[in-house]
Amino acid sequence: MGARHLGNLLSLVRQGLTVDVEFGTRSIEALVWVAESVEEGVYASGSLARSADALRFALDNPPLRVGAFSTLRVYVDGRPVAADLVTFRPGVDAAWRSAASVSADRTFDLAPGTRTEFELKGSYGSSGNPLTVRLELRTASVPPLVWFEFTETPATAGPGP
Amino acid sequence: MSSPAPPPPRGRPVLLTGLASAALLDGRGDLELAREMRGAPTEWGGVFGQCVRLTGPWRLELGADGRATSLPGSLLTESSTPGGWRSEHAWEGFRVTQDLAAVSELPGVVRTLRCERSQGPPRSLTIRSSFAPWLLPVLVEGIRPHRFRFERRADELRVRQRGFGLALRSNVPARAVRVDGEPRAEERWAGPAAEVVTEHELAVAPGRPADIRFLLSGGLDRDLDGARSAATSVIADPAASTRSVASADLAWEAATPVLRFPDAPELERAYGLARAGLRRLYSAPGDGLTGLVAGYPWYSALWCRDIAWMLPAVLWLGDVDWARRTIDSVLRFRSQSSVPILGGEPGELPMQISPGPIFFYGTSDTTLYYPALVAAWRRHAGLELPADWSEPLRSMLGWGERRTDPATGLLRNGGEAEAISTATQALARVRYGIDAPDTTIWDSTDRRDHAIDVQVLWWQALRAGAETLGDRGERPYRELADRLAETIRSRYRWEAEGYAFDSIRAGAPVERVRPNALRAVSAGLLPPEDGRKLVRRAARDDLTTAWGVRTLSSRDPGYAPEAYHDGQVWPIATAWAAEAALAVGDVDLGFAYLGTIARQLNGEPGCAHECYRGDRPVPFDACFLLGFSVAPFLATLFERVWGISVDAAGPTVSLAPRFPPTWRSASLERLRVGSGTVGLDWAPARTRVTWSGPGTLDLRGGPAPVRILPGGVAEVPLSADGQAS
Repeated sequence: MGARHLGNLLSLVRQGLTVDVEFGTRSIEALVWVAESVEEGVYASGSLARSADALRFALDNPPLRVGAFSTLRVYVDGRPVAADLVTFRPGVDAAWRSAASVSADRTFDLAPGTRTEFELKGSYGSSGNPLTVRLELRTASVPPLVWFEFTETPATAGPGP
Repeated sequence: MSSPAPPPPRGRPVLLTGLASAALLDGRGDLELAREMRGAPTEWGGVFGQCVRLTGPWRLELGADGRATSLPGSLLTESSTPGGWRSEHAWEGFRVTQDLAAVSELPGVVRTLRCERSQGPPRSLTIRSSFAPWLLPVLVEGIRPHRFRFERRADELRVRQRGFGLALRSNVPARAVRVDGEPRAEERWAGPAAEVVTEHELAVAPGRPADIRFLLSGGLDRDLDGARSAATSVIADPAASTRSVASADLAWEAATPVLRFPDAPELERAYGLARAGLRRLYSAPGDGLTGLVAGYPWYSALWCRDIAWMLPAVLWLGDVDWARRTIDSVLRFRSQSSVPILGGEPGELPMQISPGPIFFYGTSDTTLYYPALVAAWRRHAGLELPADWSEPLRSMLGWGERRTDPATGLLRNGGEAEAISTATQALARVRYGIDAPDTTIWDSTDRRDHAIDVQVLWWQALRAGAETLGDRGERPYRELADRLAETIRSRYRWEAEGYAFDSIRAGAPVERVRPNALRAVSAGLLPPEDGRKLVRRAARDDLTTAWGVRTLSSRDPGYAPEAYHDGQVWPIATAWAAEAALAVGDVDLGFAYLGTIARQLNGEPGCAHECYRGDRPVPFDACFLLGFSVAPFLATLFERVWGISVDAAGPTVSLAPRFPPTWRSASLERLRVGSGTVGLDWAPARTRVTWSGPGTLDLRGGPAPVRILPGGVAEVPLSADGQAS
């Protein structure tokens, strides 16, 4: 455990105790319910998988914001993935789409509770090591960038769609 | 039997509320409501309890002899009823009347189907209930959990997700339960669930109507057991529950002022609709919380900034008790320490509160509203400041002082979201955020470092601190307020535009025309001539449209007609423009703005949309009812049209009405002032004032102060332009 991580944990403990003292244990409990619901509700845990020529993962919900997104960018370990290498399908019955096709006129619509699968063509990282995947999205109606990232070691997957 | 009518178009919202419950539907028979949100269709129908979305769409299907129909597919008529909503359906010889209400005894929604046949043999009718469990507070607007825990009891089905829970019960036991198509017979199980189905069988014979009743309730799982007795009562007699909602609404309305504008009936009607809209937002969701939810469907939580915009209207409507309990609820969650993961700093008030309790901080402005609200509450109630409000008031002002630039007196806004993001980074397995650098009322645009309306709020907070706490000790609030006022007058003056700068960033003025500058006019911070110029500038067609005021001038390079805070039209901005115009005596312009809001309220009965596109009068990315869209309009009618200010401690009432020169009469009844009520009857030559007492009432606004005895009447000469004639 690095010093920074330990510092973060101690800070979290201190803040948790503060909330406990000021507002009671139920507050901490309820705040954890929400935090866990978000943490487990968006990224489909364990869905990150590597095949011979691609990386795949899925989201079970929109990352914080719903709506019609006019831009979608994906990064792996901090490096941008070219939009034409990214495809997705919102819902198992939907057709696969290229991220390069996402625009203000052809938005990427995200609705609560709908699983969206992503596939990134190419080779990323090395086997057995964790990857950090980051998505950045923007809607025209509420412009600030929405971002979401997770870190996981990819499983091995079969051929893609 | 008549044939089913074509289903009405999807999307007309029907909102039913109890103090801890809401039902959202589109008026076709089921609890489904597809709404455009952030540019995409999103389903918002369902049941809400304790600020938790309990379900997604909740549908009932009728089945017999291997055939089935949805309720929308068999709809004949629909109508609002006192405290509820009714739909009538016909299908396969069955006549079905559905009554639906959000109940007040517990957080939930009750549905009754009365099923009848006029002829033929008895038949079995299958009612299939299906809903998508949700079980997450609405503050997380875009996430539906996938895994749930189930418990099947003799009288109800329980569904849980972490500490949130719901119970479905019916007077007709379910003969089958299925989750995602799979039959479930066990007592307890857990797993993913997108659809929960129960099937119920009802025998219907001619002349013998059969009822099936459903109650879907919940919120916090820990409260479900305590609500069992209430649930039993509601399911036994849903009509009593509906009557209780209706009678509470009627009693509340009967205690609020009556406004009559014979020369502007559309304004009078809009007052009634706005008042009814505000009532629908009243909320006491549990955990000792009282307040008003910000709006429906996706802001149905207690947002403390939105509450701050609603409380002045609540006070004018005479509900000082609700206002006090609401302020108590907000102050209860004042941060006393630094809690970066929640965005809280000492003295800061929360952005949101929900039962749990769940609360978050991290805005630049929420805290600033409350000192003035506390002062306003005291003036309306005529009571001493509650003992437990003084210390919070001082610490709120202390929070503001710590954000204040000592050289200029300006308060710094922005940076909160970044701070929260930094604090939570590396603490979780997944990380997420919204790169919004600023969190004022227009929180999706960057107005750092010193947005003008935030400075006005700070000035009002300091003045309220001086009024309420005095200038004793180390905090000369009035001195700070005077210095800030001078800075606002000198540094925000935008001579070339005849306007005020939107903000000051890194010492340089931000040249953007937004309606927020109008707040400085309404506060009386600008010289009269500057105020009039600013109001006229705001009235130009780049900011003011026929359907209201934009959040940003259409000439600004950053303008986008669909952008929430960079181009859309907001009724709250229109109300600001009305208030500012009336404040500088531009009565025609002020009434033009009020007329715009009135047209919207009258044209969308039951709705008061949050915002509209900037290029056409179409709601876009808009809650269909928002406190912002009704409360400032209501407060403006009292404060600027009637020009009333009260100090119930005296009691004293000051009047400076501003009516259009063509008006011949206006009246106001039942204005609560302390323990008494005031009535006003205005005509161009005089205003007749009645006072119920107790004690004498001092009346100001005429050529000389007038004292009215309890039960007394006085006539004072007041012109329509707020001046003594």
